[in-house]
Amino acid sequence: MTVDAIITADVLDVPSSPVRTVRRRRFASWRLAYMLLLPSLLGLAAFTYLPVLRVAIDALHVTPHGAGGATRFVGLENFARVLGDAAFRQAALNNLIYAVGTVGPSVVLALLFALAVRRSTRFNAVVRTILFFPSLVPLVAAASLFFFIFLPGVGLLDYYLAKLGVSGPNWIGDTDVALWSIVGLTVWKNAGYYMLFYIAGLQNVPRDHIEAATVDGANAMQRLWYVILPALRPTTAFVITIALIHMLTAVDHVVVLTKGGPSNATNLLLFYIFQEAHENFDTGKAAAATVISVAVLLLVSLGSLRGMEAGSRREA
Amino acid sequence: MRLDRHAGPALLAALVAAVAFVWVTPFLWTLVAAFRHESAGSAGMASLLPDFTPTLANFRLALESGEFGLYYVNTIIVVVGVLGVQLVTISLAGYAFARLEFPGRDVLFYVFLVQLMLVPAVLIVPNLRTTVDLGLYDTLAGVMAPYFASAFGTFLMRQTFRGIPRDFEEAAAIDGAPWWAIVWHVLLPMARPGLIAFAIVSVTAHWNEFLWPLMVINDPANHTLTIGLATFTKGAEGAKEWGVLAAGTLLVMAPLAVVFVAFQRRFVDSFVFSGIKG
Amino acid sequence: MHVIRRLGAGALAAALVLTSSVAWAQTRIEFFFPVPVEGKLAREMTRLVKQFNDSQKDIEVTAVYTGSYDETKLKAQAAAKAGKPPSVVLMSANFTVDLKLAGDILSLEPFLAAEGTTREKFLGDFWPALHANATVDSELYGVPFHNSTPLLYINATHFKEAGLDPAKPPRTWVELVDAAKKLTKRDGEKVERHGFMMPGGYDYLGWLMSALSMSNGGRYFNESYGGEVYYDTPSMLGAAKLVEDLVYKHKVMPSGVIEAGGVSTAFFAGKASMVLLSTGSLSFIRENMKTPYDVAFVPRNVRNAVPIGGASLVMFKGQSEASQQAGWKFVRWLSSTDVLGGWSRFTGYFAPRKSAYDTAEMKDFITRNPDAKVALDQLAYAQPWFATYQTVAVRKALEDEMQAVMNGKKKAEQAVKDAQRKADELLRPYIDQTALKLP
Repeated sequence: MTVDAIITADVLDVPSSPVRTVRRRRFASWRLAYMLLLPSLLGLAAFTYLPVLRVAIDALHVTPHGAGGATRFVGLENFARVLGDAAFRQAALNNLIYAVGTVGPSVVLALLFALAVRRSTRFNAVVRTILFFPSLVPLVAAASLFFFIFLPGVGLLDYYLAKLGVSGPNWIGDTDVALWSIVGLTVWKNAGYYMLFYIAGLQNVPRDHIEAATVDGANAMQRLWYVILPALRPTTAFVITIALIHMLTAVDHVVVLTKGGPSNATNLLLFYIFQEAHENFDTGKAAAATVISVAVLLLVSLGSLRGMEAGSRREA
Repeated sequence: MRLDRHAGPALLAALVAAVAFVWVTPFLWTLVAAFRHESAGSAGMASLLPDFTPTLANFRLALESGEFGLYYVNTIIVVVGVLGVQLVTISLAGYAFARLEFPGRDVLFYVFLVQLMLVPAVLIVPNLRTTVDLGLYDTLAGVMAPYFASAFGTFLMRQTFRGIPRDFEEAAAIDGAPWWAIVWHVLLPMARPGLIAFAIVSVTAHWNEFLWPLMVINDPANHTLTIGLATFTKGAEGAKEWGVLAAGTLLVMAPLAVVFVAFQRRFVDSFVFSGIKG
Repeated sequence: MHVIRRLGAGALAAALVLTSSVAWAQTRIEFFFPVPVEGKLAREMTRLVKQFNDSQKDIEVTAVYTGSYDETKLKAQAAAKAGKPPSVVLMSANFTVDLKLAGDILSLEPFLAAEGTTREKFLGDFWPALHANATVDSELYGVPFHNSTPLLYINATHFKEAGLDPAKPPRTWVELVDAAKKLTKRDGEKVERHGFMMPGGYDYLGWLMSALSMSNGGRYFNESYGGEVYYDTPSMLGAAKLVEDLVYKHKVMPSGVIEAGGVSTAFFAGKASMVLLSTGSLSFIRENMKTPYDVAFVPRNVRNAVPIGGASLVMFKGQSEASQQAGWKFVRWLSSTDVLGGWSRFTGYFAPRKSAYDTAEMKDFITRNPDAKVALDQLAYAQPWFATYQTVAVRKALEDEMQAVMNGKKKAEQAVKDAQRKADELLRPYIDQTALKLP
């Protein structure tokens, strides 16, 4: 097929015209690419790379709080202090458990939700809104609303569990339970959010492929596995990468709910960094912890994207 | 084993309804509590059964705590302004990353993603300083500026463009169409589901944002909705007025829910563009 | 389009303001304030500021609502670092030490000197317990604005049910435990109603632990030196043990942590018979409690003692001379007897000035609200609020350990030892720069 040939040629960079033309076209393509990226790069320079620079500098310095201490260069000492801090290690461990418990279930649920409501009927429109509802709650109210769900005795969970004759634990006040309550809350919050991208992704799955598979006698599971999921690969790569990044950076709903307590049981890296920067006046430690977390996130997203995209390239 | 042709969908629908019920419970409670008399707490306050005599007192109290009309206008300006600029920047950047070959493309892409990885704790002070230097302190433009470039949106558009088969563009390119015509007439229409998803996410995020507007804005005439809402959700002395809280939450959320319903219905249209039928 | 038009309008307005301020030589300053209890307080504060603006022509104050106490501190410090410091900020009173150490706030001594008065004279009208949190290293840095102490709230109906006299709330720890046992309602293993509850979340817990250790004869921290806390002491151990026993020995308090909002809700819902909460919640409870309630001093073991809480007015550095003078004028006006008295009656907080209670309005108010009288009487036993180098982290060191105790993860003995060790580590840099910096 000609289309396949074109795509293959493009992917493999097989020159299809004399070398000189290719070079000229390549140069034009570079210039165009940078021109298209320029507006974004301007914004990022002012509000991302400038702070990154600040963080990089801060991470290598210590500014003692109080008693007129001057800022001094300390090399990697801040990193040693962060890694040696039991609170940091606990936050990192909590964050790992939180990520493992949250990413898988929310992404799988998101896909199932999207498949269930992919057709835009009136009923599905309502269901989509319901499933997306947790993301609509403003953060300033989320603390109180989520807090009410977990309120011991009179809260939403306990009230209805009591009707079933079950007495619930102190959901966010018990050191053994709190992190899991937070995991549940996050799955509830994120599944509907990621669903959106799957709904969008599903719209681009060519219908005739599905129909062809149906004609060939594939059942629903087979169609999902062999036709829909491969077509959704770019979407899944996006959702999983974003979900992993969110595990570190989009946890404000946890922070406002528990402030990391009880006994640091729900302390996550984001709040650890916040505490060091703004409560403990230790910008050096906050910066070092930020550098570590960004490095981890870059590695993680590199891994997940490379894995998924290697797969999608094979599909092509 | 194969399920009956009709039992499958019916079972799925029942399951979806059950999950939806669990998902919607907190919202139902918010709705009921907003109209309930006892605001501060009672044994049956978690009940989802509405009271016999609903009251609007909670809404009145919530509305009285600030100039909500003004807050709505400011918030709309912010979300529309941010989204408008973002749609341009992310479409251009997304196209570059998805379709163009240039040196440093992969590295640059991860350099973009760094935006997603920084937490507000380390951004507040440097970004506030930049906002002051740009002369945008205490303006709505200052609230918007940091979001004009969006790594999230660029990433989403890159993935969306990648999911679109290249044959359409190739055909247009063979016809001699310039790059911008291909983006505008071929790619963007097919990328609509992605753009809609992004619009929903962007509008929701900036509608509900609190900390950054709080940092940038001093003039009460520039306050946004969440700052108004915060006046009664941020009590430090153990006071929780659940009813007022619920009413205030609904006041802030209602326009957003309407926008969501409107936006997400647009998803259906994309079938027309993406259908590759003859 | 909208954006542009709006921005244009903003610039125009700014230009107008600029010209007008030149014409009238008016000084414009910003005042940041949090709202610690309810939304209507924000409106009341805005009204007060408008009253000030209308009362004179030289100064125009913009009242800026800035979220919670923590967010107010965050915004004020970030604005200062970005070169736009606010003039006056209503700040949680125990942040004063850290703000002074961070070099963010002004000493108020020069203003006092310019008025020809001294710190002692100026603070003379303020309750003695408030002086320590207003001063850092013997200089005035904050002017108290509204204050609170912990208070015991009891459900009178439950008391009668349990055969107790609501007119005689528990005064000692022995009576507290005894009453709590009688008030707790059980259904087999399950507790239907708890005799006692107290908030266990960060910030509140540290405050209440200082109340309990003070009631046990302790001090909690060194009021005159920011490098010492007293966690591993008999007074704190007794307080920690009391909490442990209330949960695990007497089983009259739920295990785990319950935030303040959960405690007040449980009290309203009749799920808790006695609760420890701030006097700052008094108006809120008075307005919302459907059944009879009463209030009492925090029960003692050794002595009656409670820490104060609340907020002070502080002034940020980086202002012009004119703005500083304007800021001080505004601080003087806000902390005048009449304004403080009115604010106190509106919010339920104490007025920090003793003279506020000599006014006719206040006397009338106290007669009509006897519960406010109890809270006022307890002020005689008030002590300074915990404030050290790295206040939040040092307090959290104890709170984390106490939360482990309340979850049955640790014994009180071990908890106070571990809390002390952690706190000492945090205080070390400051101690090295101060008390242990020897010639």
